[in-house]
Amino acid sequence: MNTLSLNGRAMTTRAPTLQALLIERGYDLGAACACALNSTFVPRSQWPLQALHDGDRVDVIAPITGG
Amino acid sequence: MHTTPWTVAGVSLGSRLLLGTARYPSPQVLSEAVQASGTQVLTVGLRRLQPEQGGGNAFWQRVRDTGCHVLPNTAGCHSAQEAITLAHMAREIFGTAWIKLEVVGDDYTLQPDPFGTVEAARTLVREGFVVFAYTTDDLVTAQRLRDAGCAAIMPWAAPIGTGRGPLNPYALATLRARLRDAVLIVDAGLGLPSHAAQVMEMGFDAVLLNTAVAQAGDPVRMAQAFAHAVTAGRLAFNATPMPVQRTAQASTPTVGMPFWHEN
Repeated sequence: MNTLSLNGRAMTTRAPTLQALLIERGYDLGAACACALNSTFVPRSQWPLQALHDGDRVDVIAPITGG
Repeated sequence: MHTTPWTVAGVSLGSRLLLGTARYPSPQVLSEAVQASGTQVLTVGLRRLQPEQGGGNAFWQRVRDTGCHVLPNTAGCHSAQEAITLAHMAREIFGTAWIKLEVVGDDYTLQPDPFGTVEAARTLVREGFVVFAYTTDDLVTAQRLRDAGCAAIMPWAAPIGTGRGPLNPYALATLRARLRDAVLIVDAGLGLPSHAAQVMEMGFDAVLLNTAVAQAGDPVRMAQAFAHAVTAGRLAFNATPMPVQRTAQASTPTVGMPFWHEN
């Protein structure tokens, strides 16, 4: 069991990879979104392979309006 | 309503008005304002996604439906590293190497951080990004951004969202004079079409707006008004305005003036 920060919120998970975490948390993998792990971009192709560790910080972002 | 085409990052554009997509009364009004403005470039943002929100697909589809080029921003980033990471995320989501680089230096004025912006610009250009750098009207910062290889340098006219218009026309004119070959786009602080016309008359290549249109009582009409102003300003620049005179100069010829006699 790892304790992570997901979008700034602390949580615990057994998900071994980034993609497993996204599925566990109910994200739509087909959505227009991108991920960073510990403030480093993780390409979508790497999600299934990207291992998670205790203390990791995960950010998931999506398009919004902007100026 | 277009003037002669111009080129940024190797792309030829007819409209010299770039438009933001935030703070409109509704998505429908946004679409109508985009159409009324004639813009060909829209800015978009990125924010954290919670799973229950379902993603930004609907908004992204609406933007794609406009057929405009997309310019993602790094708004809210406070360091070069944050901006670089967000640029990579934007490139994957939007499928474009264009990035509007913003690194906030002061949370109260939202003044860009010149050091972080230049640092991020150098890295992003090396990594193949097409950087549109948001900055102040500081000449030396603009020169560093040009030297870094930015596709466009985007000085503010006034702090973002203020609508105050050009606070320092002298600095803006100096930028234009000293960076003759750079693409310069005035971004932020414009409130009225006359502000846009003013900077276009100085020779700026384009303007980027958001709040002035989105928060107008009638955003669609205001988008049209800005489109006219941008075109008028560019036409005026190309027409070479008359030199300013120190004293009155009669416009009606004085030779042969009636009732005048030499005493």
